[in-house]
Amino acid sequence: MALLATIGRRSLGLFERLGRGHLFLLSVLIRIPGLLLRPRLLLQQMWSVGVESLLIIAVSGSFVGMVLGLQGYNTLVTFGAQASLGVVVAKSLLRELGPVISALLFAGRAGSALTAEIGFMKATEQLSAMEMMAVDPMARVVVPRFVAGVLSMPLLAAIFTAIGIMGGYFCGTGLLGVDEGAFWSQMQAKVMLVQDVFNGVLVKSLVFGAVVSWIAVFEGYDAVPTSEGVSAATTRTVVHSSLAILALDFVLTGLMFN
Amino acid sequence: MNSPSSGPDSIVRIRNLHFRRGSRAIFDGVDLDILRGKVTAILGPSGSGKTTLLRLIGAQLTPQQGSVEVNGANVQTLPRDDLYRLRKSMGMLFQNGALLTDLTVFENVAFPLREHTRLPPSILRSLVLMKLEMVGLRGARDLYPRELSGGMARRVALARAIALDPTMVLYDEPFAGQDPISMGILVRLIRELNDALGLSSIIVSHDVAETSSIADYLFIMAGAKIVGAGTPAELRESESPMVRQFMGGLPDGPVPFHFPARPYLGDLLETPL
Repeated sequence: MALLATIGRRSLGLFERLGRGHLFLLSVLIRIPGLLLRPRLLLQQMWSVGVESLLIIAVSGSFVGMVLGLQGYNTLVTFGAQASLGVVVAKSLLRELGPVISALLFAGRAGSALTAEIGFMKATEQLSAMEMMAVDPMARVVVPRFVAGVLSMPLLAAIFTAIGIMGGYFCGTGLLGVDEGAFWSQMQAKVMLVQDVFNGVLVKSLVFGAVVSWIAVFEGYDAVPTSEGVSAATTRTVVHSSLAILALDFVLTGLMFN
Repeated sequence: MNSPSSGPDSIVRIRNLHFRRGSRAIFDGVDLDILRGKVTAILGPSGSGKTTLLRLIGAQLTPQQGSVEVNGANVQTLPRDDLYRLRKSMGMLFQNGALLTDLTVFENVAFPLREHTRLPPSILRSLVLMKLEMVGLRGARDLYPRELSGGMARRVALARAIALDPTMVLYDEPFAGQDPISMGILVRLIRELNDALGLSSIIVSHDVAETSSIADYLFIMAGAKIVGAGTPAELRESESPMVRQFMGGLPDGPVPFHFPARPYLGDLLETPL
């Protein structure tokens, strides 16, 4: 009986939170037009959310690309198809690894920072102080961070993918002796702009960016205003964002490529 | 009976206020009038809902019953735009200052001006420096909040609270955790700003001595009600045991020292499982 009650209570809590999260998203979305009048706020957040994530994205991208080069070569050389290494590297990065890994890294670096920052502002009454100064904290604090997250994600995924391809190229042609001309020309012939680049890097990462940013700003705004509360919210942001990215990737891949 | 007078001279008028948190009543039928142009203090033990009262006046919380009127407008039923307009005429000093940590002292004080006005940079600068001069921190304009002491942070927050030239300033525990010098500075500042700028000030505090030294009128809260009201001199002479306990700082009395618990002996003799 107690178990049933616990399950019931937790389920109600879950749905209540989901409802609150959606209402929160709605109130973020209706405030987005107001941000157009204050592009400076958006640029500041693009810097801290996007530009400051560049290093981790670039380094991870180059390693992932190099590993793809090594692994791809190992498999392809068995069939004598090592000339197709460029296609393998580019398609894997554009369709899957670029958007997914950069979104996971983004959740860990920028998502957690967004939650912690907003949660800390709530815990130290900075959000209340803004309200009392007749400044809407949703418009001033939450919306610029959310929009910056959504816009930064495709850019970061594109950079991740480009650097990954360069990593695969250096590994494949530099270390393993794949023909340079074949590497690029096959890639050029097989990679489709809409199907691979548009679907993968643009659509997927826009969706991931929106979901990660939504979870991050909601968790921060909804955090219990204590140090434990903010730390729990930060953890939830990373865990929930990562699960959401992987689950959505499955759904999007199903819709796009099958 | 809890009001010095009620009439058009009240800047805040609270009637039959009921507010609960869970099953605990914070306010149970409170009536209160705050006079325009005066320093009014609300004293009460920790946890008696003093900060909650300020949040109700600022419409950050909604009561379950009763009304809170500021300048004749019921803050709970005001449309958002009107509420924000009203808040521009209220300054609030938060207990820990609540300064924006990513901005310098100058930018913190400039924040409400930048958000609500389109002043040329030179005028904005002069205004901010004037506000900082009033709290004696013009020289600290380039510091960040993390570089300030608790007392300095509160003074910057005070400069920010008066940046838009409000008609009313709410102070949430302005003296808590202050060293004697900072406390003296704040006490003097609150009184001087009130008189020089023609403000109405509401202080919630549990520091009896400092607050009564500057307040024109005091309310004492305990047990979700107003238990005493009057000028500091009147309250010092009060016969009410509750008021005497609070004004005299006595550890036990009608406000119990102990949190409600079951009998002591039974608790001690119980064997843990």
